[in-house]
This record gives sequence, C-alpha cells and structure tokens, in this order.
Amino acid sequence: MSLADNDFTPHRNTIFEEQAEVLARVEHPGDQYILRVKAAKTAQHAQPGQFVHIRVSEARPLRRPISIMLTNPEKGTVDLLFKAIGEGTRELSQRKQGDLLPMLGPIGRPFDLSDLNKRYVLIGGGVGIPPMIFAADHLAGKADVVVFAGSEVAFPFSLRPSQFLLPGIAGNTILAIASLESRGVASRLASNADMYGCYQGHVPNLAGEYLRALKESERARTVMLSCGPHPMLHAVARLSRETGVAAQLSLEEHMACGIGGCAGCVVKTKEAGGEYYRRVCVDGPVFPAEMLPEFA
Amino acid sequence: MSEQLNPPTQIDLSASFAGLKLQTPLVLLSGCVGFGEEYTRVEGFSNADIGAVILKGTTLEPRMGNAPHRVYETPSGMLNAIGLQNPGARHVIEHILPHLPHHETQFWANANGSTLEEYAEVARLFDDSPVTAIEINISCPNVKAGGVHFGNNAEMAARVVAAMRPMTKKPLITKLSPNNADIAEIARCCIEAGSDGLSVINTLVGMAIDIESRRPVIGNISGGLSGPAIKPVALWKIHQTRAVAAKHDIPILGQGGICSAHDGIEFAIAGSDALGLGTGLFYDPLLPAKILGELRTYLGNHGLSSYRELVGTLEV
Ligand SMILES: Cc1cc2nc3c(=O)[nH]c(=O)nc-3n(C[C@H](O)[C@H](O)[C@H](O)COP(=O)(O)O)c2cc1C
Ligand code: FES
Repeated sequence: MSLADNDFTPHRNTIFEEQAEVLARVEHPGDQYILRVKAAKTAQHAQPGQFVHIRVSEARPLRRPISIMLTNPEKGTVDLLFKAIGEGTRELSQRKQGDLLPMLGPIGRPFDLSDLNKRYVLIGGGVGIPPMIFAADHLAGKADVVVFAGSEVAFPFSLRPSQFLLPGIAGNTILAIASLESRGVASRLASNADMYGCYQGHVPNLAGEYLRALKESERARTVMLSCGPHPMLHAVARLSRETGVAAQLSLEEHMACGIGGCAGCVVKTKEAGGEYYRRVCVDGPVFPAEMLPEFA
Repeated sequence: MSEQLNPPTQIDLSASFAGLKLQTPLVLLSGCVGFGEEYTRVEGFSNADIGAVILKGTTLEPRMGNAPHRVYETPSGMLNAIGLQNPGARHVIEHILPHLPHHETQFWANANGSTLEEYAEVARLFDDSPVTAIEINISCPNVKAGGVHFGNNAEMAARVVAAMRPMTKKPLITKLSPNNADIAEIARCCIEAGSDGLSVINTLVGMAIDIESRRPVIGNISGGLSGPAIKPVALWKIHQTRAVAAKHDIPILGQGGICSAHDGIEFAIAGSDALGLGTGLFYDPLLPAKILGELRTYLGNHGLSSYRELVGTLEV
C-alpha cells in the first residue's frame, strides 16, 4: 500500500479542533511537564496510542504532536506528559493555567487492544511512557497487563512498592507506578541512573527477563506494545524476534499537517507489494514491528 | 469603514478560473491535502467552502518520495522535501478519483514528469478522468530531474506546456517557480504555448542545519520554503505576472503564505482570480470558513458585491 491507498471508508469528522484550556501544569525534574487540558471531544473519542496536534504558540504556528497519557471522558480532560527538548515543546512547557491551546485530536491509528485474551506487556521509555499509561488504564481489569517503564531522570509519577509479584523480576526491583497499582496493574521501572527500587539497565532488558520467565504457553499469548527513543525500539524489536512475542511500536516523526495531507511524516514499511513510505500521523503512529525494515 | 454597504449574505463569492466556475475562490494546494479527502476528517471542515482541491503531484509511474526528515518548521514558515511521493497517474485515476465527492467540490490534477513525454502522457491519462483541470508543476524544487529544471527556463517551460496541450481539452494551469529572474517572461511563453491559467508561486529553495549533528535537517538537504515567510515574494511575483496575464485574459491562482482573510484580500488586489491555501491549513485546518466569513464582511464594507470585483484592483 502507498500513500494513496487509504481505505475510503468514511473517516469524516473523526478529528476535532478544540481550544483546549490548560487546567493544570506540573513541572517535574528533567524538563518534564504534565499538562491537564480541557478538550471534551478529544477526551471522549481518544484511544490509547493516539496523539493530539498542538499549536504551541503564535510565533511557532506549525503544530507539535504530543501523545495522550490519559483521558477523563466524563470531565472532558486530557493529560499530556512531555519533555521540553525542542523549541516547540519548550514553548508548550511555558503555557499556564487558563491559556488556550488550539488542539487537533484525537489522531492516528491506536494500539490494537481488541483481543482481551492476550497478555499485554507495555514497554515505555522517557516520553514514550505516556501512551503506555493510557493503554494500561484502558486494559485494567479487562486483560492481563504489565508495564515496564524506563527513564534516566526521575519518574514524573508517584511511586510505591508493588503489591504484585512478577516472574523473572528480582526482589529488589520493587518500585511501581502508584496510579497503575491502584488500578490493579503491575509495573516495574528501569534506569541506568542508580535509582532505588529500580532495575539498573535498559528497560527492554528488564522486560526480557520477565518474558523469558513466562511459561511457553503464556508467552504464546503475549504481545508487546512499545513507545520510546529509537535505540529502545530497536531493542524491543530484537526482543520480539528472540522471544517470538509480537510487538506493536509507536513512532515519532517531524509533522506538518498531522492529518494525512502532506506526507511529511513518513516511515519506511515493507509490505506485500514492496517497500513504501507510510504516514506516521494517520497510517500510524502504531505499526507492527515486522512491518518496519528499520527495526528488522 | 463604519457603514456596511452590502449585507454579507448577498455577496457573490464565486470565482471564474480558466472557463471554470468555482463555488468560492479558495483552492487547496497540491501536496498539502493528499489525494483529496484528508481534511474532511476534521469536524467543521466543509468541501462546500472550497472552489477546488488540487491533488498531490502525480507522475506517470509510482514514486516513493524522499527519505525523512521531510518537513521542518522555520521562522514564519516551513521547509518540505517530500519528493513527489505518489502512486502513479493510472492508480490515481482508477482507484482514487472514482471515490472522491465530485458533487461537493472540483478536483484538479497536479502533473509532473522528468521528460516532456512523461508530462504529455500524464496529461493524456488525466484528460479521460473527472478532474476539471490539470495544473502543470514545472516548479518542484525537490526532485532530481524535471521539476524546477523545466520551470527556470522560459523555453523549456513553454515546451512542457506545448507537449501537454494537444493531449487534453481540460484547462492547463502552469505553476511558476519564484526561483528565477524573469517570471513575467516565463509566464508569457507558457501562455503562448497554450496555458489557460497560472499558479504563482511555488516554494522557494532553502535549507536548515542541525547544529549538534552538523547535518542538514531535511533528508534531501534542501527543501521548499512555504508559509508567511514567502508572502511578500509571492505578492511581488503575482504583481509582475499580472500585467502579462491580464493582457491575455489569463487567470492567476495566487499562493504563498496565505493564512488569513487579510492575506487573501492582498492577493486578490494584486490580481489573484483564486486563492491557494497550503501551509496555512497546517496551522489551522478550519481556515477556509474563517477566510470566507471575513472576506464577505470586507467586500460588503467596501461596497463590493462579488469577489471578482476585487481582483486586480491594485492602484499604483
Ligand atoms: C508539504 C508540501 C508539499 C508540496 N507538494 C507539492 C506538489 O506535490 N506539487 C506542487 O505543485 N506543489 C507542492 N507544494 C507547493 C504548494 O502547493 C504551494 O505552492 C506552496 O506551498 C506555497 O503555498 P503556501 O505558502 O500556502 O503553502 C507543496 C508544499 C508543501 C508545504
Ligand atoms: S504530518 Fe502531514 S501527512 Fe503526516
């Protein structure tokens, strides 16, 4: 398939332009920020893996894609976690309570979470953690799910010792994300920085210890979802090949329109007909790992 | 102006372009709106606000396009180097055009090639299709052969138009590059070769550098600069082209950084029979309805009853 091979099933009116009011802004170490914005339509329709496209300031009118960490459809709120790394995200980090952000959302092909008989192993690194939180929240109480999160700076979440035992995970790797614990979802953390209660090393290695300790029959019904920096996604793709556990990867790329119009945001794919460039914004951002030659 | 001379509801916003009647002067530009249906994803966007949608640049054979990164924001604009990613003219005609809502707005092709023969063949294929016009892209800066290499030379530009002319009865609209010295001379040659309209302007060539890696940000090294940064260049090039075009009664599709009704009105005054929206849509996908609303008010306040009355009214 190529850029033009959209299916022409109606996708009209699936993305909403809202003036999202900043309700809260919390700063965390390592230039990490969490914004809670009011965007009722996005909150109502968003699915895990999707993102919003935000106009961060008048001076920088080209929008920036930010993945959705959590929604509250009843209250109409959307939580975003991002790192101020580029000029756009730095401007976004300066927005205050009461500011209005022109926001398009929800956008993109979400994670495939349809099979509730599967075990979902979620692997997030840095600013790739938010979609994992959203997916875990969605799956909580419905399917088996465990989250592994990696960061080189302090985690922007409250942490507490886990109440769940996980196979293959050493007893001193005990800290978990509190909000997930209270939803009944097990999690563990990894960092190369020497952080108490965390696995010392890369997060895919931590996930690997868990996957390898699973019984063969359990592994066979397991699927990985991952989002994070490229080296991490490479490691997850390798883990997928080594263990035979399929992986869905969520990608990032520079974007202009964010809604499929410009083909500015592509990634190379390998499909039945050959190699193509596919749009990360609407054909992704989630792709099966085996479809991406870059990660083969 | 304090007094409203014409009620906004009675203002005729239709436009005439190369024998076509457009329901509004707003035209969605090639390369910014995929193959026609992408913007209808956005709630509140309506094809009824659009005079015509120009499909992504199309070649005879499929093209994969350039390696990423393909886009990058720059001050008041952006760079792009997509590299004419498209599935080929036959695919567009057989698998895309039949599904487009031709009753809601018009769709125009954007024809590209590396050789005169390729341009001619693309025109021949689109002649037998529901597109109502064919724009000739002789100004793409992001491909190795053809593109801007044809557009920077008046004689070559005219040969492209002449090669396509016998292949189709549909209006041919030549898209001119700003990356050359004498746009009026190129316009004159294209008109004499049979061009029914002109698109002014395509992107300017530029680049951006990542200071950490010391590499160009754009995979293709250079890219086309679009957006508000090029608006003054676009207005000047339209002004220069207008004299030649008006003499031959040839319309201009003005474009280059239009992001508001104010911008659009400037382009109209300079001589744009229709107004192209590209980068402005990336900033705000609901821009068309906003422009039309404010355009109506402006026309009413200035005692004009139609968009057409405003076109080319520049006083110098
Ligand atoms: C991402 C992108 C892709 C483009 N692709 C094409 C193309 O395929 N064919 C073409 O004739 N012009 C192409 N253009 C040029 C636009 O149609 C337009 O002429 C130019 O961007 C100036 O208008 P603007 O400032 O409103 O964007 C492209 C522009 C952008 C930004
Ligand atoms: S950003 Fe324009 S197609 Fe993805």
